[in-house]
Amino acid sequence: MYMNIDEINEELAVMQLSDSFFPTGLYSTSNGLEFLFSKNEIKGIEDIKKMIKVNIEQQIGPSDCVALENALENAEKGNFEEIIQADEMAFIMKPIKEIRKASTNSGIQLIKCVSEFVKDNDILNEYEKAVKGKKVHGIFPVAFAICCHALQIRKEKSITMLLYGFTVSVIGAALRLGLIQHLEGQKILHEVKPIIIQTLKENSNKSLSDMWQFAPQFDIIQMSHEKMDSKMFIT
Amino acid sequence: MTHIPRIGIGGPVGSGKSMLIERLVPVLAEIGYSISIISNDVISKEDADRIRNNLSTKKGLLPENMVIGLATGGCPHTAVREDPSMNLAIIEEMEDNHPELDLIIIESGGDNITTTFSPILADYFIYIIDVAGGDKYPRKGGLGITNCDLLLINKIDLAELVGANLEIMKTDAEKLRKEKPFEFINCKTDQGIKKIAEHIIHDLLLDSQPKSTNLKKI
Repeated sequence: MYMNIDEINEELAVMQLSDSFFPTGLYSTSNGLEFLFSKNEIKGIEDIKKMIKVNIEQQIGPSDCVALENALENAEKGNFEEIIQADEMAFIMKPIKEIRKASTNSGIQLIKCVSEFVKDNDILNEYEKAVKGKKVHGIFPVAFAICCHALQIRKEKSITMLLYGFTVSVIGAALRLGLIQHLEGQKILHEVKPIIIQTLKENSNKSLSDMWQFAPQFDIIQMSHEKMDSKMFIT
Repeated sequence: MTHIPRIGIGGPVGSGKSMLIERLVPVLAEIGYSISIISNDVISKEDADRIRNNLSTKKGLLPENMVIGLATGGCPHTAVREDPSMNLAIIEEMEDNHPELDLIIIESGGDNITTTFSPILADYFIYIIDVAGGDKYPRKGGLGITNCDLLLINKIDLAELVGANLEIMKTDAEKLRKEKPFEFINCKTDQGIKKIAEHIIHDLLLDSQPKSTNLKKI
């Protein structure tokens, strides 16, 4: 069975946005992994997998993925007010200052980047204008939804990309910290796939009022990272 | 949004990037230029903390919040060239909140001789090496050495001690950089610092007066 041109275009857009070559600054975040490493609280691939699992199941899945899904659906319907609400909800769901700041910085840069090569998408243009006018935060999952909409990437793929991107950023940080080796990184990535699929199933049809996140231990870890004197990563 | 002229300073670890900023800012500040500094650190905030302490806390040349440390996830090169988004995010905030600034200095984390700055990030690129790396450095080339707007060869007082021949470095730099400028400097004694300030004022700021001077005239 062959793909048609639209499907190939969609796949190319998925590759482009998911590529670590795409400039969103995510390489500068470890999501608290660096703090755990500095305290010798994380040792090898099992610990890293656990960290990714908790973050995906307790934070990104029920909050960022739901915000992304709602923003994407409302982008398709042209409901900009609902997108603003998703942006606000995703913003307040991030209690840690560094994480919130890194997410908005990446989101805003993502919008700017895609706006360089997609010129004819009304929602993208309106969102970019709202970011400039400070009417929205530009939080990453919502900015990501707007870009996926502009590049005609479907909901399930968009959510999968968001979860994959997070996983890769943690594994990349673990590699640079010397916690794991390159082959182990790929092994983790492969083993996290069922978690990504399950999270996608559980969170792809929820309303904004269903959003939640609860991983207090990681909140504390991420807050502690903020206060580290010597660090390689922003978060 | 106001575009504030930006200088990118790159160079190997220990070549004198932070020291250059510490010596250069007082010269520019004395003329009246208002400056902010973003220091990209590879593994700590030490450079930013030191610059803040020396230029803001001790000398009062700029407010403490005008020196910002940025962690780069161990990828100093990426942060100023392939994916400068985190630096751009800070700069855009600066341009938004502090249009009174005349200049933003972005210090790269210490890296190798292939470092260059994205032209979207920096309008003017200074690359600094030092004689302790050996007199082969200008000859070896590398994007930083060949492409920068101004090449600086620091710690010339050590040349004799490390057996580096400054004449060779001069000849090689001239050959490699053709018409582009380079200077021998010694940050420790301020030798050559005023000349660098002149390059910046002329080549980047196009001899414009500090904004504060214009405000006073109004």
